[in-house]
Amino acid sequence: MTQPRIKRPRLKRSTLTQARNRPEVLIPLALYLLFTLVPFYWMLVFAFRPTGSTTILPTRPTLEHFRTVWTGLGFGVFFRNSLLVGLATLLVVSVFALSGGYALARYAFAGRKIFMLALLCTQFIPGAMMLIPLFEVFRHLRLINNLWALVLAETTFQLPLALILMSGFIRNIPIDLEEAAWVDGCSRLRGFLAVVLPLLRPALVAVGSFAFIGSWNNFLFALMFMSEQSKFTIPVGLSYTLGEFGVDFGALAAGGVVAAVPVVLVFAVVQRYLVTGLSAGAVKG
Amino acid sequence: MERRGRHLRGPLALGTVAAVASGLLLAGCGSSSAGSDPNRRQTITFWDNNGGPDRTPLWKGLIANFEAANPKITVKYVGIPAASVQQKYDTAVTGGGTPDVAGATTSYLGGLIAQKALVPLDDRVSQAGMTGKLVTSFADSVRKVSADGKLYEVPTSGNLDVLWYRTDLFQKAGLKPPASWDDFFTDVPRLTEAAKNQYGFTIRGGSGAIFQLLTEMYSYSGITSFFDSSGKSTINDPRNVELISKIAALYKKDTPTADVNNDFVKMVAQFDGGSIAIMHHNLGSASNNVKALGAAKVAAVPLPVAANGVHTVVPNPVDGLVIFSASKHKDAAWRFIQFVTQKSANSTWNQKVGQIPANTEVSGESWLQSQQPVRDALKVIQDSGTVSVQAPFYLPEFSAITKTEMGPLFQKVLLGTLSAQRFADTFAAKMTQAQAKYVKRVGG
Amino acid sequence: MTLAVARTEPISRVRSGHSRRRTPYLLIAPAAGLMVVFLLYPIGSVLYYSLQRYNVTQPWDNAFIGLGNFSTLLFHDPLFWSSLGFTAKWVIVEVGLQLVFGLGLALLVNETFVARGFARALVFSPWAVSGVLTTGIWVLLYNPTTGIFRYLADAGIGHQGTAVLASPGSVFPAVVVTELWRGVPFFAILLLADLQSIPAELYDAASVDGAGRFQRFIYITLPHLRDVVVLATLLRAVWEFNNVDLLYTLTGGGPAQQTMTLPLYVAQKAVDAHDFGYGSALTVVGFVVLLFFSILYLRVSRFGRDLGGDST
Repeated sequence: MTQPRIKRPRLKRSTLTQARNRPEVLIPLALYLLFTLVPFYWMLVFAFRPTGSTTILPTRPTLEHFRTVWTGLGFGVFFRNSLLVGLATLLVVSVFALSGGYALARYAFAGRKIFMLALLCTQFIPGAMMLIPLFEVFRHLRLINNLWALVLAETTFQLPLALILMSGFIRNIPIDLEEAAWVDGCSRLRGFLAVVLPLLRPALVAVGSFAFIGSWNNFLFALMFMSEQSKFTIPVGLSYTLGEFGVDFGALAAGGVVAAVPVVLVFAVVQRYLVTGLSAGAVKG
Repeated sequence: MERRGRHLRGPLALGTVAAVASGLLLAGCGSSSAGSDPNRRQTITFWDNNGGPDRTPLWKGLIANFEAANPKITVKYVGIPAASVQQKYDTAVTGGGTPDVAGATTSYLGGLIAQKALVPLDDRVSQAGMTGKLVTSFADSVRKVSADGKLYEVPTSGNLDVLWYRTDLFQKAGLKPPASWDDFFTDVPRLTEAAKNQYGFTIRGGSGAIFQLLTEMYSYSGITSFFDSSGKSTINDPRNVELISKIAALYKKDTPTADVNNDFVKMVAQFDGGSIAIMHHNLGSASNNVKALGAAKVAAVPLPVAANGVHTVVPNPVDGLVIFSASKHKDAAWRFIQFVTQKSANSTWNQKVGQIPANTEVSGESWLQSQQPVRDALKVIQDSGTVSVQAPFYLPEFSAITKTEMGPLFQKVLLGTLSAQRFADTFAAKMTQAQAKYVKRVGG
Repeated sequence: MTLAVARTEPISRVRSGHSRRRTPYLLIAPAAGLMVVFLLYPIGSVLYYSLQRYNVTQPWDNAFIGLGNFSTLLFHDPLFWSSLGFTAKWVIVEVGLQLVFGLGLALLVNETFVARGFARALVFSPWAVSGVLTTGIWVLLYNPTTGIFRYLADAGIGHQGTAVLASPGSVFPAVVVTELWRGVPFFAILLLADLQSIPAELYDAASVDGAGRFQRFIYITLPHLRDVVVLATLLRAVWEFNNVDLLYTLTGGGPAQQTMTLPLYVAQKAVDAHDFGYGSALTVVGFVVLLFFSILYLRVSRFGRDLGGDST
């Protein structure tokens, strides 16, 4: 029994769960949110509380830590570098993960299993052990003290995760959709762009944000491959607050707020793309 | 199913070439290198071994003054976070890319010398007439690190282990700051009120514990050298073991339970959070403590003297400047070092940081008299009666033994699963062995 | 009505010829190229140094010693075995808990409720926080003077001086909780994205057939999530195995090496003690262990069967 392909209305969700604000959803969620937020609250308290005060509610908030961090440490430059490297990594990883993930998901080519195993193997060695040889490689490529070294290094280490995950997401999309497009005369690439890519939006958001966050938070490569103050990134800036003889928790927390708040805000905007309207079942199986 | 050919090579090679080519094309701004002609503009790179909100502005100020006085030399400042400085230096030495001049302390100077990364500075120092102007014990510490006894580092700043204490808590209990170790061990329980989260002392049980323990041991026992004349370690001398047991006995009773994990960060968080009466650290945490507790509530006193009256002190690692052998601007680097170590610059730097200036001409400055901890520390160092018990930083295994091997064992002593005697014996055996290897290699 | 697993292999060959045969290789060329350029040499380097006695601060002693490091490691180093055992415990507990909580969280935030977007952003935010900061904040949280237990004790719950990181009994749960805080969003984000690909009418149809909510979960949701779950847990397990920043700062492997994982041991040996040769040997062993278990895991989860292109 075949049915003609019909355009399904975009439903927000299945017709089953209609009730909103169900307590069995809200209560566990609230508990978990509490667990998530306690460390953030600590961070805020330390960021706004004057050094030496121990009150749990900051009764006399101060901006001195932010001043230390922004002007004293020069966080503006670190922020800019982290942003540039993060965005570049995000783009490169997303593109390469899409292409490689599609290959892994749709083609049964010789060496497929080896390739996937090789991707996994890249994650088996801690970065600190590969630091010096990697440094030498970048040095030969004249990329030391160049932010592109960070992009390339980050991409190399983030790509396996992104690629493998993306292949899993692509496999979830039935080939029938693409075949329908080919029957309509699309090339494989066009079919992919028109049919598969829109359905991969949640996957792209997930994989892209992992790549961005991984790059945003990378400390070791940023410190070791850059040798100019103006090329350091946020994690290096944060570690300045934990000196050999002095620790400035206020500055650490303030730096952390500067580093985390923009990312959380962007995520608040982007998170709705993680959830799409359900329309995947365009063809009856 | 169709047969697939071996088409791996073509695309893969293509991909590799593409990756490498794009990498080369992307290689935009590398680091600049200038000529070494003294009359041309030169740029030297300076790596600060303890970058942070306190010190970076200080260095930048000094650099601005230096550049004003030396218009043909530009100094590029790079701050390295202290926790990663050894790794950064090792990577640069092995992988290539060392700076011209950098800060270093004697705790890892030996490793750099062993990798042949530095140039000895004796000749430059004597030609500049600086030999008599460096605090003797600092210069000695530096020379002792290297087998050839040369000066690979020009000291800029020294430190001393002190007991930071809460003047207000002492006043409330009617106590004077501990002058002897007996005083110390009687004061601590008097200042403890565990139910209110108030403790007399805090032990550094985590990272960095062993060096602090050594300074306490030798200050307590009055033993004047780490090795006796036959090369045997003095660490398990009964008087040293006594100190270890006494300190361990304080744990959990008069010190917080959390101490077994205390690295510097956790330890100072407790003291600055107000729950500790006495903390053993060095002058370096002055700005932290004063900012957190207020100058009126905190003061420092050097470690008490041993019962036998001999004032033994294990010197803290000396901070200074080194020149890397791969540098192409050694003369310009030296001029920078000269500038930083001259009287006014050295004085300003140490005043802001609260440590002991290495330039002897600074000892007459008025700020020294007003900063009590530095004043008292300098007095101890300059006193002819003080015996300097140099820790064997020249032993390449010293860092490994104190950081990774004995650290966990000390934690076991605190937790009560290992006796202080066994701990000291194990420690002594390792040190004796390392010393024997050193003597054999270097010949006395 | 049968529930068909989606086909992934094309039935009809719309295209044919050389271009299709070369296509997959071209598609993976960038990733493969990056790996060859940046990873072959470093991995080879680690292998090379594992056969040497190599200590940068004692260069006079450097020499080729073949399998010497490995024999020391296997037969004379109890810390190797204890750290390996602890690492296994750490990875299994962490990944297991993160998966369970992550799945629960994904299901929760997939529902409809007020301020859903805000809740999602908050729930995922630990992921956005740098390691330096996470460890710094949790150090403060667990410290008896600056942390949560002190304020709880002030309010009358528990007692002052609770030091969870110092007591051998409580240190493992304490570090597990911290890593959990950081790691759950990983699974939550992935599984939430994956949940979107389940066609709604499958649920509708099953409900018409009389399946309850639990049965719909077991027979529809879980099978659809399987691929991503298998891959994500494997990748996360490898990451947890190798990532030491949290343990390094919170406990340093202590107290008394109780929370010492193998990579932490490697970091101490290679970086702190400068014994790069032995550290490399430990790394090689870790590599072999991970490789072995990855292959085993993929086999057991019958991932390989699907890779062959069969459809049920």
